[in-house]
Amino acid sequence: MNTNPELPIPISYIAGNYFIFSVDAATFLRREHNICGILAGTLPQVPQQNVFTGLPLELMPEEARFLVEEGVACIVDEVNFQKQGMQSLVEEDCKKYLKELESQGIETMQMLLRHKERQKEGALKKIAEKKATKAKKAELKQAASDATADDSASPFFEDSQPSTPSQVSSRRSSTLGSRDAMRITPAISHPPLPQQPPAEHLLPLPQVPSSYPLFAHLHSKGYFLFPGLRFGCQYLAYPGDPLRFHSHFLVVSTLWDEELDLMKIISGGRLGTGVKKGFLIGGTDKNLEESSDAGSNVRTFSIEWAGM
Amino acid sequence: MVDLDEAAINSPSNDATGHLDVDLTDETQDFRMLNNLSFLTDTPEASLPKRGEKDFEPNPTLFQADVLSASRRAMHNALSYPRLHNPKNIVVGVYAPNGPAPAPSATSKLDTIAEHSPGKKPAPTSIGVSPDACVYVTNPKGQLFRTIGQADRWSRIWLLPEEALYLLERGSLDIRWPRCAVGDGEEDDVEDSGIPMSLQAAYACFLGHGGLTMERFSVYTGLRRLGYTVIRAPGWTQDSNIEAAGAKSSDELENQLLRRQGPGLAGIFTRFLEWLHASPPTTAMGPVVGFGFHRGYVDLFRKLSLIPYYDPATASPSSATLPYAVVFHVYKPSTHIRKSAPPSPDFRIAVVNTRTNTTMPTLSQIGTLLESTPFDPPAANKPLYVRLRHGQRNVILAAVDQGVVSYLRVADAAFGKEKIYQSQAVRGNKQRGPPRNKFKKQ
Repeated sequence: MNTNPELPIPISYIAGNYFIFSVDAATFLRREHNICGILAGTLPQVPQQNVFTGLPLELMPEEARFLVEEGVACIVDEVNFQKQGMQSLVEEDCKKYLKELESQGIETMQMLLRHKERQKEGALKKIAEKKATKAKKAELKQAASDATADDSASPFFEDSQPSTPSQVSSRRSSTLGSRDAMRITPAISHPPLPQQPPAEHLLPLPQVPSSYPLFAHLHSKGYFLFPGLRFGCQYLAYPGDPLRFHSHFLVVSTLWDEELDLMKIISGGRLGTGVKKGFLIGGTDKNLEESSDAGSNVRTFSIEWAGM
Repeated sequence: MVDLDEAAINSPSNDATGHLDVDLTDETQDFRMLNNLSFLTDTPEASLPKRGEKDFEPNPTLFQADVLSASRRAMHNALSYPRLHNPKNIVVGVYAPNGPAPAPSATSKLDTIAEHSPGKKPAPTSIGVSPDACVYVTNPKGQLFRTIGQADRWSRIWLLPEEALYLLERGSLDIRWPRCAVGDGEEDDVEDSGIPMSLQAAYACFLGHGGLTMERFSVYTGLRRLGYTVIRAPGWTQDSNIEAAGAKSSDELENQLLRRQGPGLAGIFTRFLEWLHASPPTTAMGPVVGFGFHRGYVDLFRKLSLIPYYDPATASPSSATLPYAVVFHVYKPSTHIRKSAPPSPDFRIAVVNTRTNTTMPTLSQIGTLLESTPFDPPAANKPLYVRLRHGQRNVILAAVDQGVVSYLRVADAAFGKEKIYQSQAVRGNKQRGPPRNKFKKQ
């Protein structure tokens, strides 16, 4: 699972949003670059709930920008790449791709059948055991009262021969043809499209809001950042992977000379303290020396409500 | 106080009631919880996992590193679960990039139809399907198609982009590239090429098609996943030009204010009649309640109600282009829906992208939005506070911040219409008075 995808990772730009579709890329970015994104898709195995969501991973423009600046990723104009990529496919590629999918499908079908078999065997064994004990009990009971118990007990044992069904299904799984293959909807378009898109489909750096320096600053300090509007702020800052840790700060970005309403600070401070987080504001300090790294000249202030 | 809260958080109780008020979708949940729901391996369990325990901050212990990597592995496994279709019950859709078109195999038949009914033209729009639809399914099977899709006369079901993407994402539909999009296929050939469309390609093709934005799609799938039926509202296509609409709406509101005050002379006359009838209280002639005998508090209170109030019932629906528009009609899972004639929706949802609209909607914007919804007064037999909360008109704002959706319900509450003194008089209970303690902080 700790596979490293080929760099740079293509970030798909579709209709104004940035997406990652490869599971390897998603876990790699999380592990190595503290970039989580928001899982925006439905998990096909549990589709009727919202607690766990699946790919694609939706990235904030800030996250996309950061990754491109780091040289880890590139932005791809996915719409045109898909269109032209599919158009330029020759028949041979298609055939090869379909064959590959088919063999994968057969493999999964076999796996599923084997699994079903095992499950069936287990269930049958359980039933057989249950029936055996039941029959024994009945036998004992009946033997005590009457002597005609033998007839009723014996057919149970004949029924529960576990060997016959498994033999049938194992025979079937070995002779799976293309018609029985599971059809697969792949998550990513590689193959048949190339992994790295041609240069003509690459896009420039993403546009980011004025809060980007603060984002970059906190990220460089090891924080994981999440979109925070639901909690009444711009970003939620987590000290570690949000899978395992609660967030520590509600982050709001300001400009250095911006006039701040005192109410904003009070309400933010109260809100943060109420949910056991610090309220953090920050912005680019114009008096500090600017270096090449984004966010190096940012100063932050944490506000806590002491009287609660 | 704080300690108590801390203790409550740190010791998660096992009873279900303790978790009722916790929204699990608020924060990232530990994917190891998903292992409790097993998929390929065991029989699926019916209940959802409980909230996982989290640590305060990272420490350099090996234990924590192990737990974290286990969580990440579980996440990786969950995310890499494939979308499989059993050949026996696979549902196949075909992408039609140019919108709905008549069935190619039926073109010859179509000519004869056209001859018989010369009024009908076999143009793409004439097949009775939304022009935004872009995927057709020839063998619709399963529960989901009860509320999704539109049929044409070749008994194919056409799917809108959000419907197609949602079905593909949940693994219920296999969408194929048409022959015209692959290799050197002909221009109008939308027959199945046999090549399945990947999730990545589906996002690239469907987002941005026919007004579908990621924000709208997040709301759509989020509600669909929870079992609601979501269909497009007429407002879907309205808010394409936000800037112009914003300027226009404030003018519109002013007009409406003028209109509400009554048109010219007739308005003055009716007000005069009202004045004669009810002899409005003025302090110039003595006390506000007037002289004379008063036999009940109701009359007194009625005379004291000097301040005019806004009555949502009198507001007329406007046809202005809106900065925010109701884009989805949502039905509870229990509502029975006929696709051809959907009933009045249970909820109306407007979607807001908080990255482009960074401020709360202004009062005039909310006013215009509310006026676009039908009058929906609360049931009269409900308690007072339920009635006030329900409002006379209501709309739900779905604020989407980079994939995280928050819902806000905005209702037009009519405080002026709720005559507290009257309800008290009916009950005749002098001691009770209005339930003041409701407003008191506990």
